[in-house]
Amino acid sequence: MVILDPDLEERTVAPSLETYLNVIRTSGGSVEKLDVWGRRRLAYEIQKKFEGIYAVIDLQAEPTAVAELERQLRLNESILRTKVIRPDLR
Amino acid sequence: MAKPASVRKPKKKVNPLYKEKITYVDYKDTALLRKFISDRGKIRARRVTGVDSQQQRQIARAIKNAREMALLPYKSQAR
Repeated sequence: MVILDPDLEERTVAPSLETYLNVIRTSGGSVEKLDVWGRRRLAYEIQKKFEGIYAVIDLQAEPTAVAELERQLRLNESILRTKVIRPDLR
Repeated sequence: MAKPASVRKPKKKVNPLYKEKITYVDYKDTALLRKFISDRGKIRARRVTGVDSQQQRQIARAIKNAREMALLPYKSQAR
């Protein structure tokens, strides 16, 4: 799950995330779903912002590829927060 | 005068998760998770929620994940 800067244009979110996801694809992983929720109110402020654009990505890949994806996402300043969760770990 | 020790009979609760047939508590499902937090934003105790211990753990985990992603508040000013 990713929270992006609310000042971003909502329709540019999906394509820009796609470019990041190439890291997964080139390393043999697969991206199953990219779901942009759109603008949503945050429960508390993050970096002085009360809103964020939420996006949920389902993917399957090697841990190293996921770590690299997360590293690149964190470098981008328009990404407020990311969280990787293993859904099969219940 | 003093009441006998076993006067208090706790009301039998229906497990709210079984009732709605939920097997996996998703951190993205804030509508569900909000039922398990107080109006101050605290996680409700198991004796309040009436779920079993495994489910309570799942719920707590999900709430904490949701808090990290600003889906739920850590604290709520509502009194």
